[in-house]
Amino acid sequence: MRKLPVAGALGAALAAALIAVSLSPGSSHREAPNIMLDPSADNTDTYAFTANDAPDKLTVVANWVPGGNPANGPNFFRFDDRARYYISIDNTGDGKPDIRYRFVFKTKVSNTSYRQSLINVQSIDDPRLLQSQRYSIVRETYTNGKPNKPRTIASNLPVAPSNSGPKSFPNYSKVAGEAIKVIGNSKYFAGQRDDAFFIDLGAAFDNINLRLLTGSTGLGTDTQADTSIQTITMQVPESDVTRDHKPVAGPDADNATVGVWASTERRKLQVTNARFDSNKGARGSWVQVSRLGTPLINELFVPSGQKDAFNKSTPDTDNARIKKYLLTPEFARQINALPGELLTNEVGLPIKLPVKLNVPETDRTDLVETFLTGMPGLNQIDKTDPLPTDTLKLNMGVAPARTPNRFGILGGDRAGFPNGRRLEDDATDIFVQLVAGFFKDNKISAGDGVDQNDKPFLDTFPYQAAPTSGFEQKVGRRQEPPHLPTPPGDNPQIPILPQLPPLRLPIGPQLPIGPTVP
Amino acid sequence: MRRIARPRVLLVPAVAFVVALGAFQALDGSSTTARARPENPDALTKRGNNELQRARETADPARYTRAETAFRRALRLQPRSVDATVGLATLALARHDFRTGLRYAQRARRLGPRLARPLSVLVDAQVELGRYGPAGRSLQRMIDLQPSLASYARVSYFRELHGDLAGARAAMSLAVSAGAGAPENVAYVQTLLGDLEALRGHPRAARRAYSAALTGVAGYVPALASRAQLDAAGGRLAAAIRGYEVVVRRRPLPQYVIALGETQQVAGRDAAARETFALVDAERRLLAANRVNTDVEIALFEADHGDRGRALRLARRAWRDAPSVRSADAVSWALTRSGRARDGLAWARRALRLGSRDPLVLTRAGLSARAAGDRGAARRYLRRALRANPRFSVVWAPRARRALRALA
Repeated sequence: MRKLPVAGALGAALAAALIAVSLSPGSSHREAPNIMLDPSADNTDTYAFTANDAPDKLTVVANWVPGGNPANGPNFFRFDDRARYYISIDNTGDGKPDIRYRFVFKTKVSNTSYRQSLINVQSIDDPRLLQSQRYSIVRETYTNGKPNKPRTIASNLPVAPSNSGPKSFPNYSKVAGEAIKVIGNSKYFAGQRDDAFFIDLGAAFDNINLRLLTGSTGLGTDTQADTSIQTITMQVPESDVTRDHKPVAGPDADNATVGVWASTERRKLQVTNARFDSNKGARGSWVQVSRLGTPLINELFVPSGQKDAFNKSTPDTDNARIKKYLLTPEFARQINALPGELLTNEVGLPIKLPVKLNVPETDRTDLVETFLTGMPGLNQIDKTDPLPTDTLKLNMGVAPARTPNRFGILGGDRAGFPNGRRLEDDATDIFVQLVAGFFKDNKISAGDGVDQNDKPFLDTFPYQAAPTSGFEQKVGRRQEPPHLPTPPGDNPQIPILPQLPPLRLPIGPQLPIGPTVP
Repeated sequence: MRRIARPRVLLVPAVAFVVALGAFQALDGSSTTARARPENPDALTKRGNNELQRARETADPARYTRAETAFRRALRLQPRSVDATVGLATLALARHDFRTGLRYAQRARRLGPRLARPLSVLVDAQVELGRYGPAGRSLQRMIDLQPSLASYARVSYFRELHGDLAGARAAMSLAVSAGAGAPENVAYVQTLLGDLEALRGHPRAARRAYSAALTGVAGYVPALASRAQLDAAGGRLAAAIRGYEVVVRRRPLPQYVIALGETQQVAGRDAAARETFALVDAERRLLAANRVNTDVEIALFEADHGDRGRALRLARRAWRDAPSVRSADAVSWALTRSGRARDGLAWARRALRLGSRDPLVLTRAGLSARAAGDRGAARRYLRRALRANPRFSVVWAPRARRALRALA
């Protein structure tokens, strides 16, 4: 495979295992590519938080297109012009969107060059920028589930380009900064950013290999280091998203909590009726192909046979669809099975854990509460009868923390995950410890050993760091693979292999007992 | 993707071993993982898929055998694995064993009734087996569930088979747009988009699509082959031959070898063409040794350039294995070339029963009709062949024109 996208999130990592492209070399008949990855529609992560520099606003960071490698030119990562990107808000707690922000993109491609830009691009409108995207924002609102007339907030906004390197962009930050647009009391940004997600994917998905249990000592490998995503980041006044259209008075206010998720839609076709295609506005001609609220819900709770259906569904169906998987999570059984399994330690030697982990496997109403209904007294939208829905529920009345604790609620920091989700929140460690039974008196210091992003976040909008440039990035750390002698004048495609694992010092198993939470 | 951390030093002997074998071995994380932890069905499935992908990149059919081993081991460990079952279906389809492909696809569908992936192989198998009604329904289910590059590209092909070239083009352009981040797949659908443009008589748009594919993936062989075909059709024979030579050097597949030989023939390089044609059977045998069935390609080749009796035998076998419009076309042409034009014409109607506008099939149908004495049908087919693009092929377009003139 020339370049299997290194996943920007767990979902993509799982999906990457499914990639299979069929084209029979002996054939002149045609087989369609079998790639089931759809990176340009793939939601990688969604964040919703109250920013320190904008305490009266809702900030949403929605990321798509995993595994962006800025050095991947001339195939620069971008949004798909033919898809629709959404950020949805539920302020009543029924799992149905009350407000949707729709983002639609348009690519401008040069006919004269394959390059993204000539050298020395100075501004986002610089004609030397040959390939660029523009986008428009439409705000849809719903009253009792019925759509009102959508309103176009802005159109023809610039998208921050791929950071190909210092020769093309002597001052990338300045050029990308010009993609921050202030519209009324809101701010919007779309384009490439460094992926805020951090995880040791390698360990987590090798059936939870031992590195998972070294979380308290670090030493994990941030498999997302230097990768980028395409983000849509927006910051809107609280009153734009609350159910009574008023600002939030405090954490106990009735309108304080909203549910946030992101999704993508693609055009449906009628197999034998091309005339259907042009029927753009018709109801039912768009299909949701991806959605993401809470991180890791789809990846770790939803069984693989249900994942496509989950991506197509909406949060109002989650009570029937996924609640059951949280009540008796397979992931809990997997963790309990660890002591009986041979695990591979850092030098590849098999070892066994000498302890029992005692993770509760049934009746996990604590997980339903934390992930789906919201926690009482903190982030329930409907406080009397909260419906389980997979949305990121943020109580906007909770003041942002000056120094965020990466364990969020687990670390006593009420401004962090699962009250919304901040960029700093260590979703993997929190998730593992929650499933291990943090709220069931079974506190285990498990984690993936990666505690923070490889790049510091910005203090100001759009918060995620600028992407590493293609010229400087080290994602690939590529080694040339062995191959047969090349005939003169021939230019065989040499596959780029995934990086070889780095040499790491052997460490012994860490006994996973005792809370890590400060 | 990397799975377990292993110290670099352990990998060095592995590299040396592979070099000693003289093979391109995918030394990626998953295959080392699969070797180190044979009990992991996911890693085995991934390894199988990697082998399929490498088979696609290198045209080395031995990869198929390795892929099969990996998928079978995965299934032994996890008999209800949807992914490994889809893998075996994909493999069978790649080898043109469509019935086996259909069986695995149906099994995968039973194992994962709410997933889009099993539908993709199911559609492919049904199309190749000539079950177009069920194929259309499976495909509609697939795209309703998950519009994506994979389903758009299949919709395009389905429309093309039914003669809707404009609709096919529209669907394929959606596929191209949907492919960001997966360069090889984008290059593939861009090439197919180019082929559709060429069919529609828009050679400049076709060339732009091929250039885009080659920009995305340098030296992308399907795009080079299509561009050579475009050059040949446009009368730029020297450029076409140079292009095909590069293609054949990299992917010595029968259809590329045949295209090179035919272009050499048209250019008057008969000796070179004979040498090229001699390669066809060697390649066929190599593929057959890895259980890849090329009956349709070889039947058409033999009908035009070799043993017509053999052409008919192979075409009939292809039809028995997979009664599709593609194999009907091969039977038709083999019959006509064997002097049984009346039967050939009947089979040509089968080949065109969906309303195909493939100019090669239409030309063969026209020539069959002419040989069978049905001048009206011959004129209709030949005119239709030449309608969208009068220069669709350097070999077949002149034949169609000559025949049409003779009928006037």
